[in-house]
Amino acid sequence: MPFKKMVRELRGRNKAVGRSHIAPEGSSSSSSSPSTEQSIWVDLPPELLLDIIHRIESGQSLWPGRRDVVACASVCRSWREMTKDEVVKAPQLSGLLTFPVSLTQPGPRDAPIQCFIKRERATGIYRLYLGLSPALSGDKSKLLLSAKKVRMATGMEFVVSLSGNDFSRSSTSYIGKLRSNFLGTKFTVYEIQPPPVYSERSSNRKLPPSMRVSPWVSSSTQSYNMASILYELNVLRTRGPRRMQCIMNSIPVSSIQEGGQVHSPTEFTNLGNKKNKKKSVMDFCTGNMGGESVVKEPLVLKNKSPRWHEQLQCWCLNFKGRVTVASVKNFQLIAAAAEAGKNMNIPEEEQERVILQFGKIGKDIFTMDYRYPISAFQAFAICLSSFDTKPVCQ
Amino acid sequence: MSESNKKISLISSEGEAFEVSEAVAREFEIVAHMLEDGCSGSSIPITTVDSNILGKVIEYCTKHVEVGNVEGNSEKAEKDLEEFDKRFIAVEMNTLFSLILAANYLNVKGLLNIGCQKVADTIKDMKPEEVRSIFNIENDYTPAEEEVVRKENEWAFQP
Repeated sequence: MPFKKMVRELRGRNKAVGRSHIAPEGSSSSSSSPSTEQSIWVDLPPELLLDIIHRIESGQSLWPGRRDVVACASVCRSWREMTKDEVVKAPQLSGLLTFPVSLTQPGPRDAPIQCFIKRERATGIYRLYLGLSPALSGDKSKLLLSAKKVRMATGMEFVVSLSGNDFSRSSTSYIGKLRSNFLGTKFTVYEIQPPPVYSERSSNRKLPPSMRVSPWVSSSTQSYNMASILYELNVLRTRGPRRMQCIMNSIPVSSIQEGGQVHSPTEFTNLGNKKNKKKSVMDFCTGNMGGESVVKEPLVLKNKSPRWHEQLQCWCLNFKGRVTVASVKNFQLIAAAAEAGKNMNIPEEEQERVILQFGKIGKDIFTMDYRYPISAFQAFAICLSSFDTKPVCQ
Repeated sequence: MSESNKKISLISSEGEAFEVSEAVAREFEIVAHMLEDGCSGSSIPITTVDSNILGKVIEYCTKHVEVGNVEGNSEKAEKDLEEFDKRFIAVEMNTLFSLILAANYLNVKGLLNIGCQKVADTIKDMKPEEVRSIFNIENDYTPAEEEVVRKENEWAFQP
């Protein structure tokens, strides 16, 4: 479709000369109007433009070079369509993060996307970077998301933003938040994206109209409850390491069953939809925190039980070299195979697969590796919950 | 290899004839197909390509046929050819564009390849405004879309 549209546009722009027609230098058509300076590049056949954008994309798989691809999508509508729809693949397929929206799309199925988190104790700001570690990545690391810890009367809140210094909830950089209860034992992840609608599974459920809108015409920036994170109480400290559970309200358990899929957004809903801004602010004022899960059987993640190491006299997990410092915060999340006495029918190899791994590698530096079916934003939010001290759980 | 001695005339849009060996002409896949389809004429009109550009395309193909015919010492030959390609494609944008269009029309894959790569290398470091001015593209975003694009870039350019 985009091709046809492009061809139409190109033709429209240059009716006088055929697309493949080259006027020889000095002939009447090229020398007649030097004042207009009509560039001959408008005649470039769309398939060649696509080829060129493909070349830019494949040559720039690492940041900061990757921003050239974002620049290609900034030129005009047709370039944008081509870059976004035809060239750049979702992280699930490519393992690459390109546009901000890719932070809310599921990670790759095989190799995880490797990131690190830096904590600034003084400001309460946490920054998520793409890269192995500050030492190994250097200039190649890329700031993905930032979160600011805010103390509330009822608990803690982490505001997550695309920007490194703008933590306003009314900003277009705001993409979600993590809120804790008073004890810090229960967290809720809110995201401004509406949860995906799983038509084949939830068609018999009546959805509120606000959830049926397509991304570009979304009417509000209200938050949706995307996940709940529960830390098990461990008052007597007799049960060993922390135990946590994440109920991924927006991801059906079917996503990791054989042939499963996650429906993910392709555009941000809050960016640039300013005309409806007022309404969304109203939604916040009336305390409308958006709908609950649209997924009937959500995916549940639990932390992998560590083994007790007799010689070292400590609990151990194999982090494959990505975590080097023992910490109560370290964890690996896998899919819970059974929930409330019900077998979730998850293939054995999927049960073994670490979906999110988080751990300490230095003072205020942590690694975060995530993969399908969760997104970078969801992974970051889960990791942030580990930062909030909860003595009753340790 | 008697075939390769056969000469073929390629006629540019201005009517100028370029006599080349059949091997060189066959580098133009469009010509190769014509020959395979039994087009036996010894002169082939290339009406959409002017003399200047056709001359260049022929120069490119001749070099590649020459090098392709030399057996052995391939590593050095390949390197030379790479050097040749690099020099050959280092032209100003308008000529580059004409070369790409001609290579696309005549179906000279190697030339199309280096031409598109050259454009990709040239525009990849440019700002969207520079690309717009070179390609003469109008910024057709609505203010709302423009804001989305601006945000995206702001995010992408954060170190």
